[in-house]
Amino acid sequence: MLTTAHSQASLNIEIISVILPQLIIAFGIALALLLVAWKRSQRTIALFTGAVMLIALVANVSLLTIQPTAVTQLLKVDSYSAFAFSLVLISALVSLHMSHQFLKAHIEVHDEYYLLLMLLVLGAGILVTSNHFASLFLGFELLSISLVGLVGYHRESNFSVESGFKYLILSATASSFMLLGIAFIYSVTGNMSFDANVPNEIYHQQDLRLFFEMGILLFISGIAFKLSIAPFHFWTPDVYQGAPTPVTLLMATISKVAMFVVLVKCVVAQNYLLYDNVQLLLMILAVASMLMGNILALKQQNLKRLIGYSSIAHMGYLLIVVIVLSGESLSFTWQSVLFYLSAYVVANLSIFMVMAAIQSQCSSKVGQLLQYKEELLLSDLRGLFWRIPSHALLVILAVLSLAGIPLTMGFIGKFYILSQATIAHAWWLIVTLVIGSGIGLAYYLPIIFTLFEKEDCTELQANKRPIIEHFLVYSFIIIGLLLGIFPDVVSQFIVSNPM
Amino acid sequence: MTLTFIMLALLFAGALAWFSENRWQGCAKWLALIVLALLATVFTIFVISHDQPFDNLQVLTRVSWIQTFNIEYSIALDQLSIVLITLTWLLAIICVLVSWQEIKQKAGFYYFNLLATIAGIIGVFVAVDMFLFFFFWEVMLLPMTAIIAIWGHEKRHFAALKFFIFTQVSSLFMLVAIIATGYFHLLVTGELSFHYLDWLALDMPLSLTQYLMLGFFIAFAVKLPSVPVHSWLPDAHTQAPTAGSVLLAGVLLKTGAYGLIRFVIFLFPQASMQFAPIAATLAVISIVYGAKMAFAQQDFKRLVAYSSISHMGFVMLALFAFNSIAFQGAIITMIAHGLSSAALFSMAGMIYLRIHSRNLTDMGGFWQSAPRMGGFALAFAGAAFGLPGLANFIGEFFSLVGVFQVMPTFAIIAALGLIGSAIYGMVLFQSSFQGTAKQEILDLSHRELLICSSLFLMLLVIGLYPNLLLNFSFGV
Repeated sequence: MLTTAHSQASLNIEIISVILPQLIIAFGIALALLLVAWKRSQRTIALFTGAVMLIALVANVSLLTIQPTAVTQLLKVDSYSAFAFSLVLISALVSLHMSHQFLKAHIEVHDEYYLLLMLLVLGAGILVTSNHFASLFLGFELLSISLVGLVGYHRESNFSVESGFKYLILSATASSFMLLGIAFIYSVTGNMSFDANVPNEIYHQQDLRLFFEMGILLFISGIAFKLSIAPFHFWTPDVYQGAPTPVTLLMATISKVAMFVVLVKCVVAQNYLLYDNVQLLLMILAVASMLMGNILALKQQNLKRLIGYSSIAHMGYLLIVVIVLSGESLSFTWQSVLFYLSAYVVANLSIFMVMAAIQSQCSSKVGQLLQYKEELLLSDLRGLFWRIPSHALLVILAVLSLAGIPLTMGFIGKFYILSQATIAHAWWLIVTLVIGSGIGLAYYLPIIFTLFEKEDCTELQANKRPIIEHFLVYSFIIIGLLLGIFPDVVSQFIVSNPM
Repeated sequence: MTLTFIMLALLFAGALAWFSENRWQGCAKWLALIVLALLATVFTIFVISHDQPFDNLQVLTRVSWIQTFNIEYSIALDQLSIVLITLTWLLAIICVLVSWQEIKQKAGFYYFNLLATIAGIIGVFVAVDMFLFFFFWEVMLLPMTAIIAIWGHEKRHFAALKFFIFTQVSSLFMLVAIIATGYFHLLVTGELSFHYLDWLALDMPLSLTQYLMLGFFIAFAVKLPSVPVHSWLPDAHTQAPTAGSVLLAGVLLKTGAYGLIRFVIFLFPQASMQFAPIAATLAVISIVYGAKMAFAQQDFKRLVAYSSISHMGFVMLALFAFNSIAFQGAIITMIAHGLSSAALFSMAGMIYLRIHSRNLTDMGGFWQSAPRMGGFALAFAGAAFGLPGLANFIGEFFSLVGVFQVMPTFAIIAALGLIGSAIYGMVLFQSSFQGTAKQEILDLSHRELLICSSLFLMLLVIGLYPNLLLNFSFGV
């Protein structure tokens, strides 16, 4: 075991430089605790968190072209994980900006919110680099626990406690399932590392095989819960609706990206797909998600619930890539997954940014306190195009991207998935995808139509909006269009590296 | 380069119209009109001054676009696309003229959408990289859907949604076929390619092409539209504003026919030949069914919409006859139907502007107050049912003659559609312009006179001197 011997060497400079972004976040958390003791100020802690994440992002950029490097047995950093972590950091930064706007409405100082946010990012950072079931579980729990705190954060809100509990209980159940699954897998293979070779004999021994498959089933159901893949999706709409908007954004982006990346890592490394039953299981999950997500979204009037259901469908689309994965075109698979995830993240960031802007605009001042607008209905978007065209344009682009129409990144992402499925001759999955996106249009387009409807409420005037918001909106419009027309700009970052 | 410039200029002019309308009311339509006229001139000069003949596809630009998939930005022209683009220019100008008074609200954004649709349509006719073709195919849909959804009539959202879902779902099948062909090219030659000319050189087995062809065929059959996937068309046409209907019927349906010619028949000749009986059956059903449905309608625009289904059935029937006479007939029918349906929809728009109804029962006896309008309506209805001397007659005659040589039974049944078209043509004219006068309306204004007479003139010229189009070989 040469690699083990090497990785057991003490932390040298090379290894530190490889996990520098994660270390920066971890160090930032410790410093933030000290900062809280020194001065409690909303502004300071927000600025500090932002600075930490920016530094981590800068440190992460240099890792985009790195060779795969193992950091102890637990972590392995490669260009894919670095790319995924950049996505996580970018979403965290946008969410931070939104959170700050949202938390300003309160008199309390919310240091713990920012701490939880950083812990969440750290959890995602561990997840995307994990190479071992132990680190996977560590990251998974870090992510879940901080999310539970964040989901229930807005105590005064109607649904906050309900959704917090719902998430806590289901998330705990999911992680215990996953833990049991990992234990089953370990009991058969005797190794928890992703790199471990699963001996083929397992498959021929009836009792071992049953155990092993059971383990995989439990493990995958744990991950599927996080990804809100049908039939583990029941929490999604409620929690999406009840959580504060910035937290919903975190759930829709960071949690999804990190969990999907680790799923692909695991499936790739362990060759689970060699087992027919696993492939069948994933296929059922994918088909169910594509259909359920899209059908359930059809009559939604609440925007956040709608996005929740659409996320179920999107994870179903993306699962196709995992199902048709083959050993030869691994880098292409990674490229597809990461491109689709970045398209999905950009679209979600865009929509949530506008949602947060509308929410903060619609909130009314009651005495000293700002009454925060909680429910965001489809009708709140009515006539937005004629009032604030830039925001409406961003929503249009994002919705088209989610629907997979050309000019947007979402289309290229769909092109990747269809290419993969076509190469693998997975015709039934393709047919489901086509039907699913057809149904999807029936709820995506009405969003756009609502934007164009005649304005009937004049209460929301385009009053002065912060410069930073304008900057973000315009830059996301440009990013969305540019990357949709010239996807090579992103693809070149997702370079293949020799395994 | 010139074509790319034209498309970008259209988009740019649209954006300019959008912003300038906010500042100077009423300038967007002038801007759109002037830009369209200018660019049409540029296009004409470019085609005339081009030194190579356009008998075969002339690739004008070919640069790398998305390297990951070896996708190129590649555009080309041949006689077929030139003829269709010319039709597009003509109808685009007509569209601006018919919207002149109809569109009052948000005019700037309206003209942006109109110009963007036209840019997309031109893109569809010139793209030869299949990814690029698909790109334009979808991009032209977006502004068109916006036109229906924002400026349409009472059930506009439903109609726009239906239109979009039908086209989008069917085109996803085409996308799968495109990807599959691209990867088959990779399998055979070792290089991924989405270029049309590369695909033409590819030798594909029939067992594969029959499925690939089907993928393309579904997308184009929806656009054409052919029974049984036609149901979006009556809704979309009825609910769209006048210019939207003109553009839909005049040019957008032709992109389906264009696709059938270029990407189904030329790319997969054997598979198409094998598929011909089914396609011809669908076409004949469309002809008879469209005509039958047309004369049962009470809505002026819905009637014309169903007649479009009938006419486009002739195009599909003629194309799948694999006969050069029928092929010529199909192309003339395409042009003729583009002009005549545009004319009828403009007429519907003019009537709607005066009486605010599309219902035939609200009309009647208009001849007494508006004789000039009546004359043109009679002429256009005549064109629609194939009156000799007008363009549609030539197209349908050639189609039927060509089809009769190959599939006589189909031709005989299709000819029944002509009787149907005479009935709905007369129903349309009689119930609107004859009978007791229900109300008085204003006769045509100068602008409307210009629209009607130019369309009529073109129908007459092609009808009397079809060699104008018959001289081209269209790549056969």
